[in-house]
Parts: sequence; structure tokens; C-alpha cells
Amino acid sequence: MIRARTFTDARQQSHSNAELNWWIFMRISGLILVFLILGHIYMTFIQVSESDATFDAVVGKLANPAWKFYDWLILALSLMHGANGARYSIEDYVRSRPNRAWVKGVFYTVIALLFAFGTIGLFSI
Amino acid sequence: MYRGREGQWAFLLHRLSGLAILAYLMLHVFSIGSFIFGERFYMAIHETYDLWPFRIGLLFVTAGVVYHAFNGLRIIVMDFTGFGVAYQRQMWYGVLLISVLSFIGAAWTLYPRLVGGY
Repeated sequence: MIRARTFTDARQQSHSNAELNWWIFMRISGLILVFLILGHIYMTFIQVSESDATFDAVVGKLANPAWKFYDWLILALSLMHGANGARYSIEDYVRSRPNRAWVKGVFYTVIALLFAFGTIGLFSI
Repeated sequence: MYRGREGQWAFLLHRLSGLAILAYLMLHVFSIGSFIFGERFYMAIHETYDLWPFRIGLLFVTAGVVYHAFNGLRIIVMDFTGFGVAYQRQMWYGVLLISVLSFIGAAWTLYPRLVGGY
């Protein structure tokens, strides 16, 4: 894990290319997610009342391929961003190596299943 | 490097809000995605999510997302500009202010739902 305050520090501290790429990914996906998620919250939570978010409304909205793509982009980016963030926490707080291995294994499996479930759900309409 | 003062709290809150948002995201993907099992299953989950702990949770998840988003921008500014580190403390108080305002705004918007109706 990288504990850098600047990009130059990050490059010097990273022991592998993968670790540096995840560091960069967190910044880029974070920047994109700010717009995607705040837009999502605004459109589904403020612009539309919660009581209007019925089963039919969700299915109707997702019939539009643009919303499918928008929601799938949130799904993919936020799960990767969240999973990598949680990996940082696991590496910091789960100290023993065997524990860390199975905690990570279970966690990555859940994330992968959820990603598959969300993707199938989105594109089955 | 993160020991003491505002930077440490910014880091801790970023982590806690991130983990909380991930937990919310996992419930959210499952509940919204459950429409593939039909309307009855979907509504059964959504009636559970209408219990009061989840209603109050909405306030915290809103403020948590706003905090995480704006503190993330603060981190990006620190990483990629020369002045970011020098002003990180001031920016953090700005982030806190925006988060508190969102909490109040969400409470205002959600008030009918919090007290039991829509």
C-alpha cells in the first residue's frame, strides 16, 4: 500500500506497477464517481420522491440504454474503487498472513458475485 | 505522517465513510438488482428497508457520500498540485462544512419519511 502525499512520492514508494496503477485508478475513478454518484443521488432522491421509486419506475427507467450504461458505469467503477479501498483497510488491520488471505478471498468473491448479479440484472431488461 | 491534528481525522473519516458507503452499496445493488426475481421479492426487501434504522441511515449515508466525495477531491488536489498540501487543513474544514450542510439538507428533504410517511 502506498502512503504518499504527492504523485512523486507515490511513484517512489510503489514496489510494483500494479500498486501504482491502483493508486492512480483511485484518483481517476474517484473524480468520475463524484459526478456520477452526485448526479445519481440528485436524480433518484431529490428530483424524484422516494415514493415514486416503484418497481415499474425502476424497470421503465432501465429500459433506456443510456441509463443502463450510466448505472453500469457506477456499478463497475464504485465496486472496483470500494473493493480496492477495503483492500487497503484489510491490509492495515488484518495482521496475520493466513487470516488476511481468507478474508481477502471471501471479500473478493462477494464483490465478484455482486458485480455479476448487478450486470445480469441491468442487461436482462 | 497522518499522526495528530486535522489530517489524522480526515484520514480516519475518509476510511470509515468509505467502508460505510461500500456496505451501503452492497445492500443497494442487491436490493435494486433483486427486481430480476420479480416484483414480490423486490417489494419484500424494500419494505424491510423502510424500517426506521434504515430511514435514519439514509441521512448518514448522504452525508458520508458527500464527505467522501469532497475529501477525495481534497486528496486529489493535495496529490497533484503544489499548493494542496499547504492548504489541506483549510480545505478539510470546507469539506466538513459541506458535509454538515448536506446532512441538514437531507434531514430537511427526508423529514416526512423520517416521521413515518412520504
